[in-house]
Amino acid sequence: MSRNSVKWLPAIVVPVVIVAGVLAVPLQAGAAVDLPDKTAEEVLLMVSDSTVTAYSGTVEKKAELGLPDVDLAAGMPDSMSESAAEGTTGPGADAAGALTSVLELFSGSHTARIYVDGSDADAPAKARVQIQDRMDERNVVSNGTDVWAYDSKTNTASYLAIPADARATAQAKFAEMAAGAPAELSTPSQVAERFLAEIDPSTTVSVGTDGTVAGRTAYELVLTPKATQTLVESVSISVDSETGMPLQVTVRANGQEEPAFEVGFTAVDFSTPSAELFEFTPPADATVDEVTLPVMPEQSADQTKPEIPAENLPVVTGTGWDAIVEVPAASVPAELSANPLMSEFATPVDGGQVFSTSLVNVFLADDGRIFAGSVPVELLQAAADAQ
Amino acid sequence: MSSNSVPSPQSSSTATARPAVPSQRRSAGLALLGSELTVLFRRRRTWAMLVAIALIPILLAVAVRLSSQTLSPGEGPPFLDRVTQNGLFVAFTAMIVAIPLFLPLTIGVVAGDTIAGEAGLGTLRYLLVAPAGRVRLLLVKYAGVAVFCLAATLTLAVAGTLIGAALFPVGPVTLLSGDVIGVPESLLRSALIALYVTVSLLGFAAIGMFISTLTDVPVGAMAATVVVSVVVQILDVLPQLAWLHPWLFSHYWLGFADLLRQPMDLGSFGDNALLQLGYIAVFGALAYGRFSTKDILS
Repeated sequence: MSRNSVKWLPAIVVPVVIVAGVLAVPLQAGAAVDLPDKTAEEVLLMVSDSTVTAYSGTVEKKAELGLPDVDLAAGMPDSMSESAAEGTTGPGADAAGALTSVLELFSGSHTARIYVDGSDADAPAKARVQIQDRMDERNVVSNGTDVWAYDSKTNTASYLAIPADARATAQAKFAEMAAGAPAELSTPSQVAERFLAEIDPSTTVSVGTDGTVAGRTAYELVLTPKATQTLVESVSISVDSETGMPLQVTVRANGQEEPAFEVGFTAVDFSTPSAELFEFTPPADATVDEVTLPVMPEQSADQTKPEIPAENLPVVTGTGWDAIVEVPAASVPAELSANPLMSEFATPVDGGQVFSTSLVNVFLADDGRIFAGSVPVELLQAAADAQ
Repeated sequence: MSSNSVPSPQSSSTATARPAVPSQRRSAGLALLGSELTVLFRRRRTWAMLVAIALIPILLAVAVRLSSQTLSPGEGPPFLDRVTQNGLFVAFTAMIVAIPLFLPLTIGVVAGDTIAGEAGLGTLRYLLVAPAGRVRLLLVKYAGVAVFCLAATLTLAVAGTLIGAALFPVGPVTLLSGDVIGVPESLLRSALIALYVTVSLLGFAAIGMFISTLTDVPVGAMAATVVVSVVVQILDVLPQLAWLHPWLFSHYWLGFADLLRQPMDLGSFGDNALLQLGYIAVFGALAYGRFSTKDILS
């Protein structure tokens, strides 16, 4: 009998070893990181002094905002999602599609591969982003002068030429801004100092625990709101201890254990990506459409301003984290309230409807006004009642 | 795969009882594997299953060829709308269609039959009369299932490519990233996909073999194995169990799409291989525990 129990031993030992391994690996990765102490200002300086111009990596985004999972459609059999898609055809379909893609950004998790090459200082930076879906991929490729977007699901490619003068103006504007900046902001360290002073009334900036992100040791810069009424608990930025590149941003919400929003590298490589990656030729069988940038006349900014009467402009009450934005009824687009998706996600409350997430609440008052802020719903209702 | 699975002097757990002539035992193991594969591939059932697998891409391609309706991009199973322009996509679509049910079904039949089938036929006793040892028999049986996995996926890929080339034009293939690769590279990627899917199925094959050691009724073991695959795939789509998904053996079954990106994304291949290795270790150990302590009565 004891002979037999020996033979069962591997069946017990193997799972135990695997479970131990599974538990130990993240612990090992998380622990035993002790970097030389730095102040928040020094970490900020590291970020601004960062000389990383070329890198590639895998980025993962996770959102736990309490929004319905739009990705659910991906798990459905094709026939189901097809009929769902057919059901939304009509005048509102485009708006619904746009809203869905915005919601997609803020719900569920996504993985993307990113390639950036800005090592040639004279040429504009090249970049490629690949958003990976289970059986599809969306690409945006820029070689500095041409931008291509490709969606494998619809097999369509869109092309956008970056006008040469747009780049020139952007550079000129930047130079102008740099020249126009006060003299005390001429070095990065002064900028860091100034930034810390600016946000000091509303935010506590501290250096959190050193950790590991994408296999690299990182400092953690933690921004904690001083306001007590806000939904945001903290924003933390992990900064690579070697290169000063921010590797991860985590936004935590009060009363929620999981981060509300997190985007960061799971793997990063600081070598220059292969140049072929940035040259894109649309496949022969793809539908190609060209996107043209809307031409903006110089005075357009001045021209459009008078069109919106002052009373229709959004009003911001308060400063810092618990500020509330009020959009007057007159400037709320009609499609928004008529959108069927909106009524699906919003819940009725006293005096209107609430579109609630763990970081932001939006209160749609019955009189058409919209109040939004990173504060509890009661504060939004109070703000609506006060006026 | 097959040669790795032959017990080496170091890895076998019966090392203490080993005679001092390992090379002889090694060749005995190879001979056993050879006879196992001969038996497996001489069976009419095995050939029937491989033919049925080959029929999937053939039916798919013929249906698309005969139908006058053109699919708009994104309609139907992935890649189906590309098939009319490029026959090489038949193999990819067929792989996607076959993975959830058909491949697990055939592998469930082969894996569920490994031990229970011999027991049911009353031949298990004779296999163990030879000084082969139960561990060796298990390893050889498992190697046989693994070879069948590879044969099944390769059949699917080859049949898909051939029928696609016969019925549709063949040309450069557009990858998911929008880059275009030539025909030779696309054939290479088809082969890699077959390999990826084979690896993805190895954990499931180990479960099937463990179930097979539990019973003397092969049909029961086959059915139970297929049920396991269905249940796990249902669990894999429930969003409430998201934390469990990376640990399910079926989680990477459709992950071969990563081989159709540019550059190839081998990250999921590594994760998948590690996961399958875990399943093989756990269910291999369980099968060993059960099979080595079992009273062989038939």
